[in-house]
Amino acid sequence: MSQFVYVTYIYAPPQQVWDAITKPEFARRYWMHYNVSDWKPGSRWEHRHGDDSGKVLIEGAVVEADPPRRLVMTWTRPDHSKEPSRVTFDIVDYAPGLICLTVTHDRLENDPAMASSISGGWPKVLSNLKSLLETGRTENIWLTKNKEG
Amino acid sequence: MANSSFVYVSYIRTTQQELWDALTKPEFQRRYWFGMHQESDWKAGSPWAMKFGDGRTADAGEVVEIDPPKRLVLKWRNEFRPELKEEGFSRCVYDFEPDGDIVRLTIIHTIDRDAAKFIEAVAGGWPRVLSSLKSMLETGEPMARTHSAPQT
Repeated sequence: MSQFVYVTYIYAPPQQVWDAITKPEFARRYWMHYNVSDWKPGSRWEHRHGDDSGKVLIEGAVVEADPPRRLVMTWTRPDHSKEPSRVTFDIVDYAPGLICLTVTHDRLENDPAMASSISGGWPKVLSNLKSLLETGRTENIWLTKNKEG
Repeated sequence: MANSSFVYVSYIRTTQQELWDALTKPEFQRRYWFGMHQESDWKAGSPWAMKFGDGRTADAGEVVEIDPPKRLVLKWRNEFRPELKEEGFSRCVYDFEPDGDIVRLTIIHTIDRDAAKFIEAVAGGWPRVLSSLKSMLETGEPMARTHSAPQT
């Protein structure tokens, strides 16, 4: 698999969805992990575990940042054992109060293990994000029995 | 073998039975499926059809396999767009897996041909329908009917 795409529609303002992706205290609520960066093109970003260790699970570079509409970044494990893949978030107004969020994770040709891991992970993360923004409730998604993430 | 497929997984705070009812009962379907509903007696081998609000048939086929409230397999062909209808029958598999307070819903929609226009069409439709379904089950309110794609 070279590309994974997930589309979800969320009743939330675009800025709130942007903040949910880029602000650590927000991301920890539904991702259980968080992202750290100054979100400027060319800057480094890190995807860290939400527990006390703050372990870096994924890292890369910010390729494009156009808040609150589009964020593109490279995505690789800290050991850099494979070519980085790439993640693009697109946030589009769909109807009054309703946005369409598309996550495109591509350049996965050379890393089947990553392709499998993110195919399980994104639906959990993005389902939980929608639940949080619409209901205020979340699940500890990585404790569920389907552990592909 | 040549084929095209669309896969979507959603985690929804609900029960397997509630999700099953939402997917198979017309009174629920009309609320989140943008006014559309399905007609079937939900037995293996029985006819199945998806209807627009005005009664026209959008899609039709048959129930291939049914195991409430866990699994449903439909034979499914578009009936209202000739270029999609000519691609023939697809297969749509629904799986519902409970996990604590949530149910993992998996949809796998496949057709035996490469680069199928039908799969491209359902890849646009399923995220809208399933986002609307998740909102309805978790908040009580589905996506508004006007938020569906234009239907021709």
